[in-house]
Amino acid sequence: MIHHTEGSTTRPGRIVILGGSGFVGRWLLESLRPLQIETVPLSSTQLDLRAPEAVVFLHQQLGSGDALVFCSALTPDKGRDSAALMNNLRMGYHVAAALEKSACRHVVYISSDAVYEDSPNPVREDTPPAPSSLYALMHLTREKMLAAALSKANIPLLVLRPCAIYGPGDTHNSYGPNRFLRSARREGRIVLFGQGEEKRHHLFIRDFVAVIVECLSRGSHGIGTVAGAEAVTFADLAGTICRLVQPVPRVESLPRQGGSITHRHFDLTAYLKAFPHLPLTPLEQGLRRTLAEMTS
Amino acid sequence: MIGFVGLSHLGIIYSVATAAQGLDVLAYDPNAALCEELSQGRFPILEPGLSATFSAHRNRLTFTANAKDLNRCTVVFVSLDVATDAQNQSDLGPLERLIGEFLGNLGPGAAIVLLSQVPPGFTRALGHRLAPRFQAAQVGLFYQVETLVFGNAVERALHPERFIVGCESPADPLPAAYQQWLAAFPCPVLPMRYESAELAKIAINLFLVSSVTTTNTLAELSEELGAEWTEIAPALRLDRRIGPHAYLAPGLGLAGGNLERDLVTFRRLADECGSDAGVVAAWMANSAYRRDWVLRSLHKAVFAEQPQARLAIWGLAYKAHTHSTKNSPALALIDALPHLEKRVYDPQVRLPSLPPKLTQADSALDACAGAHALAILTPWPEFREVDLSEVRRRMAGHVVVDPFGVRDPAECATRGFHSFRLGSPAPGGLKGS
Repeated sequence: MIHHTEGSTTRPGRIVILGGSGFVGRWLLESLRPLQIETVPLSSTQLDLRAPEAVVFLHQQLGSGDALVFCSALTPDKGRDSAALMNNLRMGYHVAAALEKSACRHVVYISSDAVYEDSPNPVREDTPPAPSSLYALMHLTREKMLAAALSKANIPLLVLRPCAIYGPGDTHNSYGPNRFLRSARREGRIVLFGQGEEKRHHLFIRDFVAVIVECLSRGSHGIGTVAGAEAVTFADLAGTICRLVQPVPRVESLPRQGGSITHRHFDLTAYLKAFPHLPLTPLEQGLRRTLAEMTS
Repeated sequence: MIGFVGLSHLGIIYSVATAAQGLDVLAYDPNAALCEELSQGRFPILEPGLSATFSAHRNRLTFTANAKDLNRCTVVFVSLDVATDAQNQSDLGPLERLIGEFLGNLGPGAAIVLLSQVPPGFTRALGHRLAPRFQAAQVGLFYQVETLVFGNAVERALHPERFIVGCESPADPLPAAYQQWLAAFPCPVLPMRYESAELAKIAINLFLVSSVTTTNTLAELSEELGAEWTEIAPALRLDRRIGPHAYLAPGLGLAGGNLERDLVTFRRLADECGSDAGVVAAWMANSAYRRDWVLRSLHKAVFAEQPQARLAIWGLAYKAHTHSTKNSPALALIDALPHLEKRVYDPQVRLPSLPPKLTQADSALDACAGAHALAILTPWPEFREVDLSEVRRRMAGHVVVDPFGVRDPAECATRGFHSFRLGSPAPGGLKGS
């Protein structure tokens, strides 16, 4: 459950962003820019979090009263094996070590809904985590690492567990809106596994960064799941994209990988209570905006 | 003379019901001002039929704040309701203090009957702790299950389905005076050991909760699948294994405090004993989820497009015919929407203080002024009579979230409303969960 420390929106202080050149990091920077909030984006080229030297460097970067957003990870498209797991954990270990002695005032960790088991519908904040992949295990372990370090330093920690995020500028190519939009435009086709029966939520990037900005503003702590407004089948997602893209793409089917069809639904009640004034963008509207920005 | 000690809801109802059976009643509470109010027929609770029953049998009722008067009683019922905190945990302290205070005033041979909502193990532990005093006063200790329902308490007290009596020795005959009281109500009497009776009370409530939860779960699926729960429920009632009185009306989770208290008590006992209470945890989670059905419906139907919508709310009480707001869905909704302007009306409940952006209206129509949506959260009968055309004229929007189906959906549609009801498919393809 997310708890806001401050009763109303207040101006955030300086914000350090780990993963500043990633999909979430870049959109977060853009959202913060009009607010004229000082930001320090750090990408992997500036700071290799896998290296032990990262501890001292990061400790020096974090001033008193700063907030830190940790949205840096090697995503599954860069590796799903134990080596990727250990690299990700090393990054988390170094960040936690730097925070343990810092005077930082607030930390936001961008985790993933993957930490939950595959189909405990509906997913909500008190759903017990049960990671089924090394990537999910990594996020859960990092959450625990940060919680342990920050409790020593008495720094509030917010963990956000978003579902799959889509929007302009997504560098990943995972099965879902971005891949469908790209292949629809470039190849004139959308490829589904099976008949695309699985239901999933898809979160528009602008909605997600709005949540992060709100939480930074209000010193929020706790755990929050963030998901798109409703769960749709991949087939319906493909159908929606077919209505938006010209010429109309073909929808093709490949044999399903893996076992049975699983669905994932989120109970958004806690989100509605925590962010009553941040309505979630309907999927079709988010896809239209994504497509418009892709085209431009 | 039958005595009642502790004049909260339970004590008031049973005092009046006992007088209605032709028995003389001495009703004691240490609060003298309360006794004076009660003796004038001014009740701090709302229950259909209470005033009429009181008036008809007033001559057999004596209210007193003097505990010494209890020495005239042959049976004394301890009838203080056990309050619960925000976590639905019982606070037994006031009950234990009350028992300690009045005990020395009983006449020899009197029977003490605990009616209060105590957990399993309480009565025997009390008997052990106070054994010297019970023996000195030559009184016997019993526990009797109460199954009153807020809003229907007088009817249930006058016409109980059965009496469940917890005894130290179930094989022994009950005291004559207690038997006389029991015989005044034509229903079966089931003596059993203390622990069985105490657990029977929880068992009844857990069976009710299981029905409520099953109903709510099926109603939600009905909404999603395009089925209509009101068409399904009659079919279930005709099944002998389910029955005509089964809890088949969908609701907004558990409220009122009694069922919630027993769930919390059961989980604590199961934890202590190592029993699997996972299903109880699931019921509690489902209850919390269902309480917010209105919030989710409003977000889908209104707030997604109109984040600053104004809201009219009819009803604050957790159910009709009571002024209790314990775990009220209306209060939960108000808490979840602190940023919106809200006007609320309830025919019986006046909030002692109003949070920002909440106004308490003087009538149902008044609450609707300028509202983009109306939420009917307590099925008070008077809400069935409000002119919907006038409601529509006063509102700025056309959404009615009516979980209990207070208003006919067809009439709502005729008046230009989109209405949402538990267990019914949402209008226009919008899903109401």
